[in-house]
Parts: sequence; structure tokens; C-alpha cells
Amino acid sequence: MARIDFPEEVKLLIAHLKRLPGVGPKSAERIAVWLIARDGGFSDDLAKAIMLSGEVIKDCRICGFFESSVIGCELCADLQRDTTMICVVEQPTDVLPLERTGAFKGSYHCLGGRIAPLDDIAPEDLRIDSLVSRIAGGCVSEVILGVGSDVEGEATANYLAELLATGFPDLTVTRLAQGLPAGGGLDNADELTLYRALDGRRRL
Amino acid sequence: MLHRLRLRNFRCFEALDCPLQGEVTLFAGNNAHGKTTILESICMLLRLQSPRAGTLSEVVRLGEDGFVIEGDFSGRQLMFSLSGQRRQMKVDGDISKNRASYLAETGLVVWMGNDDLALVRGGGDVRRRYMDFAASQIYPGYRNALRAYNRALRARNFLFKRDNRPRWEQIAAYTKLLVKHGTVIAEARADLIAALCPSASHAQSGISGRDESLGLNYLRSGGEDLATAYEQNADQDSRRRQTHIGPHRDDLILEIKGLAAGQFASEGQQRTIALALKLAQAEVLREAKGADPVLLIDDIFGELDQARRNALLTYLPKSSQKLITTTHLDWADDAFLTASQRYLVDGSGVC
Repeated sequence: MARIDFPEEVKLLIAHLKRLPGVGPKSAERIAVWLIARDGGFSDDLAKAIMLSGEVIKDCRICGFFESSVIGCELCADLQRDTTMICVVEQPTDVLPLERTGAFKGSYHCLGGRIAPLDDIAPEDLRIDSLVSRIAGGCVSEVILGVGSDVEGEATANYLAELLATGFPDLTVTRLAQGLPAGGGLDNADELTLYRALDGRRRL
Repeated sequence: MLHRLRLRNFRCFEALDCPLQGEVTLFAGNNAHGKTTILESICMLLRLQSPRAGTLSEVVRLGEDGFVIEGDFSGRQLMFSLSGQRRQMKVDGDISKNRASYLAETGLVVWMGNDDLALVRGGGDVRRRYMDFAASQIYPGYRNALRAYNRALRARNFLFKRDNRPRWEQIAAYTKLLVKHGTVIAEARADLIAALCPSASHAQSGISGRDESLGLNYLRSGGEDLATAYEQNADQDSRRRQTHIGPHRDDLILEIKGLAAGQFASEGQQRTIALALKLAQAEVLREAKGADPVLLIDDIFGELDQARRNALLTYLPKSSQKLITTTHLDWADDAFLTASQRYLVDGSGVC
């Protein structure tokens, strides 16, 4: 007796869904079955949305943020932004939490990753050249390194700091601070956070 | 103080429930019946690392896909589990968000075993592990600095190996990280060794019954100034295609009466030195953190002569909880036995 499994088409759908980030085999099956059982054109809409965003959205050649072929890069098009300050982040998605704070009015530069030799990511794989040409071509006075604080993030920050210090001696290069979470008491912070907060304390 | 230990699918034990009371608990039993496994599980519950296994999955019972260790430690319910690839830590039922926040709630541990002889005879890696295990219990940030250092070191070595002409800008980015984290590590270790030295020397004389001064010195392979040291050794690193100075090559120098202990001390002296180092660790942990460490003593009493055994028994800190494994109890006197809780370990459980 043959073992019964999903039809080939469904298996193919599951195989594709499994490749999505955060989706395991079980979730892929559940999503596939849910999609099939759903009518009212949801699958069509989803397929169209995926196609459209694939066609329309590219990385901005200047700053690396999402660029739409309809309205362009919103960051670069915004003339209100202070172009003397550039905040360098790893991914375009890192811009959004910074924007939500409303505290930063400068421009951004998304590297598209970080230097990680063990994962085979070299400086050439990142948008470092375009960062350098932005600084060389404009009147940038400060670059804020907003890359992560893990080993690769720190190494990327070190690399950029050295590169920019050699190329642009007058440029101020800063790094985002690390320390206590806002609104939390000391008893809620773990030892490492407290340790870093002590390390980065400042005079009042 | 650990009052209860429960295991599920941990090495040879499918399930184990073991109430603990009093300062001394003896686990007797034949070889390969799970005595050390019990101590190992306690070490993992309190420190999240095993003294003998390299990876977590090694301790999972054959044919299962995870383990659970639970314990009632000084009024807190601790739990450490592995299920598939997911590990989880809980304190009083609340999931800990990372290792650091869990470890802040657990206790201190000193492991004493027969392998300790390698502290005197073995290579520097054994002594570095000894320093790291103690230092990460005392200094906040040490554990993290060590992990970051090792990761940066792997990346730096990889850069030397990958490119025929070294890409110095990238290497420099990692060198800075080695300096930053390496300094934290080296300073903590130097501080630790300075604190260990008097207690270790005292324990050495006490156990051996002779005036044997034990000297401990932290030898920095790169000297005090790591930044300069990496710079000066850059050419050699590039030729050998790896980083050959730094905390990962530092050592702890042991001297007995001014002579290198690994070469000149007798077998008995070497055993005593290993014990003295561990007893000193217990004392330094207690002084630094104000809490008594749990002493996990694996099968060492059978190996010592009577004089050293008795001296060690008097030297073991009174207030610490001591969990001791042994194949036979011939060495223990009646007073010691009546004061201890005793279990017989038989491979599937304890009674």
C-alpha cells in the first residue's frame, strides 16, 4: 500500500514556504493548508503583493535604504534632513526604530550587513565605497556608527572608524552608547548591561 | 545549598529524584554507574557548563532529544533544559532571557576531580580553563569578554589563513577587539591569581604538613600592554598565519619552593598542589561573593594517602555543601559517616 502524502503541488508550496525566515516545517505545512482552504482571492492578492514589491523595491544606490521605482528613496528625497550627519546602520530595517524615536534628523547609510570573515563577508560586499563617496562629495561633519554591539558589529565599527579617520581627518566619528534601558531600575538590568553602563558613565 | 536534584534523560539516568540534606552527601557505587554524572548535572544546573562534555547534546540520554535538570537551590527553583536545539533556563518558573541573568541567580561551584592533576602536569589550556571557570564566577563581564575574545580571535586567525597577502585594515579591526576584551580577561586573571596565592600556599602547607611554599604567577604572553604587543608581533603572526600572543596563550606558573612544579614536584606534591588550587578557589569565591560555593568532589579520596586525606577533610570549608563520589567508603571514619547523607548509585537511580 502506497504511503499517502500531500499532492505534489502542495509539497512544492510547503518547500518554498520553508525557506522563509522563521518558518519551520510544521509552520510551512500549516500556512500552506491555510492558504489552500482560503478563498476570496487572498492567494492572488498575496502573490501580486510579492511580485509587485519585488519589481518596485530596490536598494537605494546612494544610502542603501528601500527605494521604490514609483516614489524613489524617501530618505534621499527628504530635503528637510540634515545632510551633515550620517548614521551608519547594518540593514535598512535598522533605520525604522531610529526614525520612530524622532530624535535623529540626519541622513542614513545602510551597509547591507557587517564585516564577518567567518561568514565570508568582506568589506567589498558592503556599501562602504558609496559611504566614502558621500562623505567626500558632501559637507558631512559627523558620522554616527549605529552598527550592532556583537563581535562582528564592533569589528565593522573599528574598521570604518579607522578608514574614515585616515581618509577624512576633520570628520567626527561617534558610536551609539550602550547602557541601562530607559525607565528601568538597576535591579532589572543584568550584570553585563550594568557593567557596560558603568563603563560608559558620563559627568553631569 | 542544593536541597533537591531532579534529572530527566540525563546521560544514564532516565529519571532521578534525589533529596539532599546536610553539609556532606556521599555517592558510593561502582565505576560506570553514574556517580560523576550526578555531580556533572549539578555543575551544569548551577554554571550552565559541564566539566567534561564539550557540547550540550553529549549529555542527552541515548535515543532522546533533550534533558531536564531541576534543583531546589537556596529557596529558588532552578531549571535548565535542552529540547532539540533549544536550551532554556528558568528561575522560580520564569524563563531567563539570557545566560547572564540566570547565572546571577544561581550559586558558585568548585569542581575537584582526579583530572585536577593535569593542572600541574598538563598544558596551559588546563590552567587557563581553571582561571576562566573561577574568574567568570567572580567578575561581571568576564564570561562575555572571553566569548567575544575567542570569536574575534577565530576571525583574526581566519583572515591570516585566508589571504596570501594579509589584509591589515581588516586584521586591525579585530586586533582592537582582542586588545579591548583581552585586557579585561588579563586584568581579571591577574587579580584572581593575586587573591588565590596566599590561600593556595596556606592550603599547600596545611595538607602536606610541611613548610612548602607554593608560588602562583600569571604569565602574560604579550606583556602588560597588549596593543603594543600585537603590533610588535604582527609580522610573526602573519608568517605563522595565526595569533600567537594574548590571553589565549597566557599561563599560570606554579612553583614549589621556587622550582617549577610540573617538573620538580613529586607525584604526591603535585596532587597536593592540585587540591590546594581548588581549595583556594573555594575560599576566593566565598570572599568575593559572600556566599559559600558548592564543592563537587569527584572520586579523589580513594587516590590520596591517609595523611593527605585527613588533612584535606579538615581543610574542606565547613560551611560549604560538599557532594562527594567514591567507589568505596573504607577511607571514611565512623564520625564522618554518621554526619553524612549516603546514597548508593547503581546506574539507573540512587537509594
